[in-house]
Amino acid sequence: MAMTDLDIPPVRPSRAVQRPGAIQRLMSDYGQEIVVLLAIVALFAFVTMINPRFISANNLTTIFAGNAYIAVAAIGMSMVIITGNIDVSVGALIGVLATISGTLAVAGYPVWVAWFAPVLIGMAINGLIGVLVAYARIPSIVVTLGALSILRGGLISATGGTWISDLPPAFMVAQKKLFGLPVPLVAMVVLTLLAAAWMRYSAFGRSLYALGGNPEAAVATGIPAERRIVAVFIIHGFFAGLATILFATQLQVIQSTVPPNLELTIITAAVIGGVSILGGSGTVIGSTLAAILFATIGSALIFTNVSAYWLRAVIGLLILATVLADMFRRSRRI
Amino acid sequence: MGKVLLSAILALSFSTSLSQAQSAWTGGDDLPTNPLACDATAPTPTAKPYDGGVPTNAPDRKGKTITVVDVPKLVGIGYFNATSKGIADAAKEMGTMNAKTDGPSKANIDDQITLIDNYITSGVDGILFAANDPVAIAPVLKKALAAGINVVGYDANSTPDARQWFVNQAEFNGIAKSMVDAMAAEVGEEGSFAIVTSTFTTPNQARWISEMAAYQAKCHPKMKWLETVEAQEDNILSFNQANTLINKYGDELKGIFGMTSVATPAAADAVTQANKCGSVAVVGLATPNAMKPYVSSGCVKSVVLWNPVDLGYAAAYVMRAVADGDLKGGATSVKAGKLGELSVINGSEILLGAPFVFTKDNINDFDF
Repeated sequence: MAMTDLDIPPVRPSRAVQRPGAIQRLMSDYGQEIVVLLAIVALFAFVTMINPRFISANNLTTIFAGNAYIAVAAIGMSMVIITGNIDVSVGALIGVLATISGTLAVAGYPVWVAWFAPVLIGMAINGLIGVLVAYARIPSIVVTLGALSILRGGLISATGGTWISDLPPAFMVAQKKLFGLPVPLVAMVVLTLLAAAWMRYSAFGRSLYALGGNPEAAVATGIPAERRIVAVFIIHGFFAGLATILFATQLQVIQSTVPPNLELTIITAAVIGGVSILGGSGTVIGSTLAAILFATIGSALIFTNVSAYWLRAVIGLLILATVLADMFRRSRRI
Repeated sequence: MGKVLLSAILALSFSTSLSQAQSAWTGGDDLPTNPLACDATAPTPTAKPYDGGVPTNAPDRKGKTITVVDVPKLVGIGYFNATSKGIADAAKEMGTMNAKTDGPSKANIDDQITLIDNYITSGVDGILFAANDPVAIAPVLKKALAAGINVVGYDANSTPDARQWFVNQAEFNGIAKSMVDAMAAEVGEEGSFAIVTSTFTTPNQARWISEMAAYQAKCHPKMKWLETVEAQEDNILSFNQANTLINKYGDELKGIFGMTSVATPAAADAVTQANKCGSVAVVGLATPNAMKPYVSSGCVKSVVLWNPVDLGYAAAYVMRAVADGDLKGGATSVKAGKLGELSVINGSEILLGAPFVFTKDNINDFDF
């Protein structure tokens, strides 16, 4: 987990001062990410021994590209959770944006309008949520629960439940390849790396950790808390919009409902990837690895003939273990 | 600490029911099966006494205008839009029924129970329902019966004594026969196939899978079932699961059964994107609109379903007949407007008719 000097009480020396070895520093900065990565590697090794087709090019594509939209949405979600907030409406938002995107594409607008208009709309909707959270001081879980009902109900009322088909082939960006790799995979990797670097090295990125770790101290150091919260929700809307492009262009039919519990899956990716549910720590590399881990587990269960019931059970256990580990680390630090 | 609670709830929501019914094929239930004849011989109906419930002190509603609420599994999907259109059509035709549809925005039994409970309190004459869980919905339906409300199910049943009648869209063995025959015609008598379903405990899907297993063993004994995978009602997950099946079995996989309107088009998309059209057949239950792109492209040849508009239409007519006191235990048929006489089966069920197979030739005649 990434740690800032800000979220440690000032009376005690920061651990970074002791200059531990490179491996120790890597473990302290990216402990959970490494655990998730090792879990993926171990699963790959184990299942490939049982059935070598697991690492065929086609199956690797299924695993790495299949959950790309979840990984991209989890980038923005991680940022929101790092600031100590939460968004339970993102699944419904993606459903609404996908319908808007498909409607524009079918209506004959240029495909880039169909792709990027939803990104702007997502930023606007989440900007509004951010204003309510930051300035009206309504807890984010309350605001986003409200947004969840509004978006989901609105989607069903507006579409009447009809599905969108006859999408133009040029719209299907998620089915295309870039440098021989599926677009969702490339998008997931590039966006994750850019966001991770920005979170780690920019002053803005660091201020998000400070806001989640110790809001009073953050404000005392001159961080404009309200503006940053609004900004982080807008950025989250941006990533939700990009996730929508991948989601809406994967299949030839856009449904007016979203995958059940999509918001939970996205939050879970962030949490298992090491983002503390209490805010202040975690990285988007972790959330992306966790999204890949879910896809790997799902595929591994089929390849090893284990009931899919275990996928849900295993993910549930992972969440509990991760949250307990986070609690434990915190209790040791204080 | 509220957030710790949130994460605990998160964790719990993923670790739901681990119990699993074992049957011949994974994903089926363990109830007895009754496969139809391999040719088109109609089965002889078995007589069974009325086993539905009875409302307490229901007022005389004969000929009076009644207020009916329709509570489907969820709203916002093509299928239940079609059933509520059928209900609305019938209500308009009769002129003595005010019907409205109000369902949960996702297929959640708790939301559905709350909704029904609210309508009992606010006072309606009749409740039409499609249950998200046959057992869990029973208490609230019994409460409706006890309040003198007429209760009729369609699409997904409850336990029989919790409602008066159930309109059965197609008998499970009828659907199973249509599905397996269509698959055998496409992949041959020795073809191997897999199934993509919603969850292993979804009642309709589990029943169909069991009947498909029984019918295949009886009439297409050399076909080979590889496995069943779950995909919730999640289109991208269905797509990923179908892809994983294609990756796992390679050329051995000749066909995929899709068991829901979500799984079938997603499986067809996976086959299309893997360039396997023609070598992997997709046969499934789905609404025609969802399947039009794949049927038009020739990738999918048979989509099995009944007509959900007719299903809603029949449910509304059954509700009218029950409210009028014309349909009672022991009846052998009921009049359902333009559908004519529908027969009573299994004690307290009304059979809609034989399943319908949508093909390239007829799919464009439907819009739901």
